[in-house]
Amino acid sequence: MKIKTEQFVEVARREMADLNSRAFLQLLPPVIAAMRKAAMATFPDPDAATEYSRAIRAEVVARLPELLEEFEANAIARGVKVIWARDAEEANDFILNLALKRGIKYVTKGKSMVSEELGTNDVLIKNGIEAFETDLGEFIAQQLNRPPFHIVGPAVNVSVQEICDLFMEKAGMEEATTDPVELGYAARVYLRDKFHHLEMGITGVNMAVAETGSIINVENEGNIRLTKSSPRVQVSVMSLEKVVPTMRDAIHVLRLLCRNCTGQSISSYVSIDTGPKKDDEIDGPEELYIVIVDNGRSDLYGDVKAREALRCIRCGACLNHCPVYATIGGYPYGWAYSGPMGQVLNPLLLGLDRTQDLYRACTLCGACKEVCPSGIDHPSMFLYYRSKDVKGDSKLKGKKRDWKEVGIFKIFTLASTLPWLWNLGARLIRPFYNRNAKNGVVSHISGLFEGWFRKRDLPAMPAKTFHERWKDIEKRLS
Amino acid sequence: MKKVSLFIPCTVDIILPEIGEETTYLLERLGVSPIYHEKQTCCGQPAINAGYVDEAKKSAKHFIEVFGDDEVVVSPSGSCLHTAKYRYPELLSDEPVWLRRAEELSSRLFELSQYIVDVLGVEDVGASFEGTVTYHESCQILRGLGVSEQPKKLITAVNGAEFVPLNSADKCCGFGGEFANNYPDISEEMVKDKVQNYIASGADLLVLCEPGCLLNINGYLSRNHPEKKALHIATLLADTGREVRL
Repeated sequence: MKIKTEQFVEVARREMADLNSRAFLQLLPPVIAAMRKAAMATFPDPDAATEYSRAIRAEVVARLPELLEEFEANAIARGVKVIWARDAEEANDFILNLALKRGIKYVTKGKSMVSEELGTNDVLIKNGIEAFETDLGEFIAQQLNRPPFHIVGPAVNVSVQEICDLFMEKAGMEEATTDPVELGYAARVYLRDKFHHLEMGITGVNMAVAETGSIINVENEGNIRLTKSSPRVQVSVMSLEKVVPTMRDAIHVLRLLCRNCTGQSISSYVSIDTGPKKDDEIDGPEELYIVIVDNGRSDLYGDVKAREALRCIRCGACLNHCPVYATIGGYPYGWAYSGPMGQVLNPLLLGLDRTQDLYRACTLCGACKEVCPSGIDHPSMFLYYRSKDVKGDSKLKGKKRDWKEVGIFKIFTLASTLPWLWNLGARLIRPFYNRNAKNGVVSHISGLFEGWFRKRDLPAMPAKTFHERWKDIEKRLS
Repeated sequence: MKKVSLFIPCTVDIILPEIGEETTYLLERLGVSPIYHEKQTCCGQPAINAGYVDEAKKSAKHFIEVFGDDEVVVSPSGSCLHTAKYRYPELLSDEPVWLRRAEELSSRLFELSQYIVDVLGVEDVGASFEGTVTYHESCQILRGLGVSEQPKKLITAVNGAEFVPLNSADKCCGFGGEFANNYPDISEEMVKDKVQNYIASGADLLVLCEPGCLLNINGYLSRNHPEKKALHIATLLADTGREVRL
């Protein structure tokens, strides 16, 4: 996938003008948020359940290296081949070479955010191996060559007419229809055929259980189960933070994941796979590979603040509660991960320099932090990224700000520590600022602050600040 | 008479000083004696939010020097108070002496409505307003300080006022300090949404506890719906009958 994080403002503007996107944004996030709320209420104590999963995710981050080793040992003991990939290239090379060695013509894919991060599809396709997304939304997004609009509904903003045209052209649908059920059926027929002859499947991983070496996938369509169980060769790709200590922990996080993601107590399908098919078993892949992807994560592990991002379980609850996401949708974030989740992850994986708007286009309202079942404090993460960017931190690829902004904050800060200068400043600014005032209202100032005034006014500065009024107030009080 | 120290944030000091005056009169009417340290300046929130932590530390230390010994500090702004209460300890975490001072001060900081209801135990402050009133839950007041019931109790107790609910009251109005200026496209949509919900509520008045949101919402109303107004809770409760500027 082409990384477009630097086009945030431009894409956001375009999306705000797109009526289809706007209509879905007004509908989808509030509906999922309401479903989440109802599902959370089925816990005897929703707050305690959330705190427990936050504690599990905190433990995962704190013990990540040893948990991964434990997972690897247990997976190998069950016959899994574990591959460590330092970056996208290593992961994709492994998958491609495996496919080439086994003479694979095409693969099916279960919905996997990490494969979007790696750009696995592009690499396979470029080398003559077709890759079919099998999640209905991902399938549509892939055919349209668009990034996911929403983590749960990757193509929810695409109109049925557009899907109809697409399926007629690319998915062998013969009769035009805009009936969603018919469209779903057409995709099903098309994809089912792929499963019948499937030789290799690629899926993501929702959780990897260190204690047992098992991998868990959560879905509602059954296509991941088919992708995992029908081919001879199965590859599961996971970013390294997907590990959890025990099966009990996994089951608890699963409860939170489903409720926070789609407002379900449990998703329609949950597959727990421990090793490939054994000699006395009928089903399952003969070869099971688990690719553990680092892609820059372990480099950040020494940074105890930054690594908090690794708590994320990709439930998407933050998207559904983010007022900025609800205004602009998923495309402006420009990569695999969108919404607050993407604003936390993308800057670490791509660098602060290329993701400027991601950690700045936020009002710090804290709605994401409030719902997060992993205990991520998103606003505090953004403040951290901003501070590292201001400092030009080399590890996180901070860019430094322009001299005008730096100058303003230096002067502002100096004044904040010298009350006489502060009050003098207020007196000096007043005539300049009020120069633009009409009937006590300022409607335009050009330069640094003109963004505010496009559709908003500000009051003129009164003749006296509170500070200058205090002596009089004090007299009246006593 | 109980003494409380006033923390008047810069937006109030420079642009909306009436809110400071109303806060003062309100507290006095409730039997509290307000004091004002003339050495107070800005809490450093804009610097923290923009990532200038070294600069913000200086502002924070100045703030702690000015307010450090006060028994109770009250402010008519939730976000500035939130900065001093919760961001200072984060900011000063690697300076043990300052960290201790920040933490000690933290427990003595109160948002205005929180102080009146939780500390003074008062809900009816003796104000009157004839009409329907709704309330916007500012982010740092609701999610930052956990204050939500207090202002609603105060509004409900106003003589003649009828409280009506606001759809998506807890959704951000799109202010976010520098956000409003740096991302005007997105911010304008958010404030428009807030204003549409206000109009749809049918309320005569939108009340809130945060000067930032007040400037944002009133700034948009002034340009697009000049007949409607948002009001700081201090203005409603002080009941001085002043016309709201803008």
